[in-house]
Amino acid sequence: MGPVTRNKLMSIMALGAMVGLLLLPILVSIPALASGGVEAPAATADAGKKEGGGEAKVEKAKDVYYKTEGIVSGPPAPKTTDSEKDYPRYNFESRVLLWFANQQHLYYGSFVLAVPIFCMIIEFMGVVSKDKALAKRYDQLAYDFIKISLTAYSLTAILGGILIFTFLTLYPAFFQYLSQIFRPVMHIYALMFVAESGTLYIYYYGWDKMKEGFLKWIHLSMSVVLNVIGTVLMFLANSWIGFMMSPAGVDEQGRYLGNIWHVIHTALWNPLNLHRILGNMAFGGGVVAAYAAYRFLSAKTDEERAHYDWMGYIAMALGVSFLIPLPFAGYWLMREVYAYRQQMGITLMGGLLAWLFIIQATMIGILFLSTNYYLWQALGRMRGAEKYQRYIKYLVFLVVCGFLVFITPHTMVMTPAELKAMGGQQHPVLGNYGVMSAKNGGINVIITTTVLSFVWYMRGNKVSTVSWSKFGNIFMGCFFFFAYVNIIWLAIYGYYIPANVRVGLSVPQVATTLSCLFFMFALNSVMMKGAKQTGPIEWGKISVRSQYALIMLATAFTWMMGLMGYIRSSVRLFWHVNEIMRDNSPWAYTHTVGFAANMISFNVLFFWMTIMFVFWLGALAAKKVPVEAKAGAPGRAPEPAVGH
Amino acid sequence: MKALMSVGALIGVIGLLVLIGMILGVVPSNTVKLVEGYMPMQMLSELAIFVAGFTGISYLMSSMGMPLPRFWQGVLFWVFIWMYLKYRVYPPIPFSVRAMYGTVTFVAVFMWVSANEEDWKKFKQPIINVLDANTGFHKALRTLYLILLPILIGGFSFLSMKPSTEEPIELRTVHPAPPASTKVHGKTYTLQTSQNPYRVNPEGKYDQEYSNKLIVEQGMGRLMAPNANPWDEKAEGYLKYVREGGEIFFQNCHFCHGDNLNGRGLHAFAFNPIPANFTDPGTIAQLQETFIFWRVAKGGIGLPNEGFPWASVMPPWEQHLTTDEIWKVILFEYWHTGYYPRTWD
Repeated sequence: MGPVTRNKLMSIMALGAMVGLLLLPILVSIPALASGGVEAPAATADAGKKEGGGEAKVEKAKDVYYKTEGIVSGPPAPKTTDSEKDYPRYNFESRVLLWFANQQHLYYGSFVLAVPIFCMIIEFMGVVSKDKALAKRYDQLAYDFIKISLTAYSLTAILGGILIFTFLTLYPAFFQYLSQIFRPVMHIYALMFVAESGTLYIYYYGWDKMKEGFLKWIHLSMSVVLNVIGTVLMFLANSWIGFMMSPAGVDEQGRYLGNIWHVIHTALWNPLNLHRILGNMAFGGGVVAAYAAYRFLSAKTDEERAHYDWMGYIAMALGVSFLIPLPFAGYWLMREVYAYRQQMGITLMGGLLAWLFIIQATMIGILFLSTNYYLWQALGRMRGAEKYQRYIKYLVFLVVCGFLVFITPHTMVMTPAELKAMGGQQHPVLGNYGVMSAKNGGINVIITTTVLSFVWYMRGNKVSTVSWSKFGNIFMGCFFFFAYVNIIWLAIYGYYIPANVRVGLSVPQVATTLSCLFFMFALNSVMMKGAKQTGPIEWGKISVRSQYALIMLATAFTWMMGLMGYIRSSVRLFWHVNEIMRDNSPWAYTHTVGFAANMISFNVLFFWMTIMFVFWLGALAAKKVPVEAKAGAPGRAPEPAVGH
Repeated sequence: MKALMSVGALIGVIGLLVLIGMILGVVPSNTVKLVEGYMPMQMLSELAIFVAGFTGISYLMSSMGMPLPRFWQGVLFWVFIWMYLKYRVYPPIPFSVRAMYGTVTFVAVFMWVSANEEDWKKFKQPIINVLDANTGFHKALRTLYLILLPILIGGFSFLSMKPSTEEPIELRTVHPAPPASTKVHGKTYTLQTSQNPYRVNPEGKYDQEYSNKLIVEQGMGRLMAPNANPWDEKAEGYLKYVREGGEIFFQNCHFCHGDNLNGRGLHAFAFNPIPANFTDPGTIAQLQETFIFWRVAKGGIGLPNEGFPWASVMPPWEQHLTTDEIWKVILFEYWHTGYYPRTWD
């Protein structure tokens, strides 16, 4: 057997092992699922025997959400008291410790779930690229990405351990209840974690051995398996928070009814899953872009600067492509929250937590503003893009008007004197901006302008040579113009129709925005095929301000994730599990906005300090193999990515 | 091009003069009225016209060989926005919101002046000139800043730390979160599914569409729909109930919520916060009828914890009105404001 054949065989076996690992939890869980996941408590069974003369008495109860009947298969949710027994404590707020542990685990978890998806995409781009030099660069980039995520993966596991210990020591009664309900899921989760680790290590360490031909495809398949495992892991973790917010599969007392799928598949599970996938990807893109920006700013040579400029652009573009649909996924989640419990929806959007949504809107605005700013700066590294730069001020006007409307609070902070001068809680002008109809218009204007900025960037150094280019340009201009008209018109029209119909207006608004995204990108690509270049993209010749915009983008992502996590969790108010298990700890109250903001900022700061350490480790490893790192494009300036 | 820019410049100059005149009190502040109902779009349109006007002025000045330095363009634009928000919009906008808008505008100006290297250089130049202080004038300016800046910062710090006798700011919950159901006069109402029993058609059946047709036309000015006068003696069914609700409203509610339902009744300003303004699109127009029913029946006191922080002195009307009377009042409130209650399908 020749060496290549042996390699092939080994690779196929490794892929087979990964698939096996992926399926292992399912196989293991089959007996658990068959038995209902949770064994009937001994005490109940004994009592049944006594009453039924040896026959176990079957008690049935109704599912709180699905309204189906099920056999009671677990104890009721514990009724805790404010005592050391149920809530052991240090001389410190236990909830804050848990908040910290949870948030850090989540940051790293999101990062290590997102980066392999990027690797998969970039490695695939490298494999299908016809330009060999470019293919190598893509491959190197994907490898750089996974290298960073490897250290982060260890930290994720460590933080996960810390989180479990925090739960066990500070919230034992609650954690015991949750693990009773989710026993089979938690076992599968642990096995999935093993599968994820094994797959990740083979994928990373097998990179060089499997870099060509058939083996490369096997390697690429491994990344698919890796991402499937990662996604399943996340879905399982989401089922816990979904259950805490919108419990199902239990009766009113919180007793498990024997159907694990009901427990997993709660009202909010699917919207949470979608929201988290997109959020993780956007976040991952932001972090890698910040890494590239950091390396760009500290670069010593033009070649290094060019490489990290390119890396930053790719990461930003990937992150933003997932950021664009994120508000729509968030909208779906909120809609489901309202449908599940009006009370929860109002607490979130119109009540106690409403002001946090203004902060969230501000962060979303910052994300889009940073993205646009980066793209406008990036025009500076293309010769011939000057023609677009003089119109940037109009784009600034559009984005900022959308932003101002988007951040207008409905509940304004004002002194009593201002309240009296204004004549009430509502302002006749700003009161109209403070509700959803205007805000939907605002965010869609921002996103459409971001799409426009991308289109400008894509054609920055090109002049279309197709015969119908004049007609194409006019068509594109009209399309964007009418898109703006339609979005703004629908935002105004929303005030003249009933609220429930108004909610439906968001659909044509979103459709308009997405039409701009898909049709205009497609049309632009066709128009720019074989276009005349007015000059090359001079990678590395970009302002330092653009790199700070990337860092801003990443920081805003991190801050917003912390904020939204807090909002989502605190909407349960004084419930551990909504309407099932009450939080009777001394901390069962909602923090002030200021405290929450400080706590989120601390979490963000801590994450960035530790991730800097991870970056530093990545750079340390790179220094040992300088020759190999540069081997991607020996002796030549870095090539631009296809289609930039 | 030049003609177009000249028109823009003319509009910009007139707009600026009017605004400055209004600030100084030379021009009456209602010269260009903010039209009720169209204020938000009017405000954005005015800003767009101003931006076009400034572009025109800048273009003309450049073509006449007297370009306004980029630095001053940025500074003046930011000052303009600040003045516009402070003096043009009435009733006055609270400082917190103006601060938010001011910050965003500051960022916008930065994005505009640093969009490309050339502009950024031009913008930075006056700042660098002062910092380098190569001329006597710049040196004097730098010294002045070195003295003024600490005094200004010290002054702001002093003012922000100084104890104030003003009432503390309170973030009030506009819509307290409702319970899943409420019990009024011994009957339980599920908030998500209950309906107003008086929103009925001539056959006496619940009919949202029918009442929507007879409601005052939604829109600013609140015109009455033809053949929809509840005070007509012959008015029957839904319209009759609207009248009855109106009578109850004017006997009990208008003292606080006002004749026009805008929250500015006779007693309104004795309360803090003042009563809800039903004509605002953010109040009853956003809510289900059952939500209003719950709020009217239970009042401000005794809201569940989920609704915290509530702040309302409205009495629990279930102690004074029958269930039917409450539903009729609600019918009247929607009819009068021209809004339709929210439904879930």
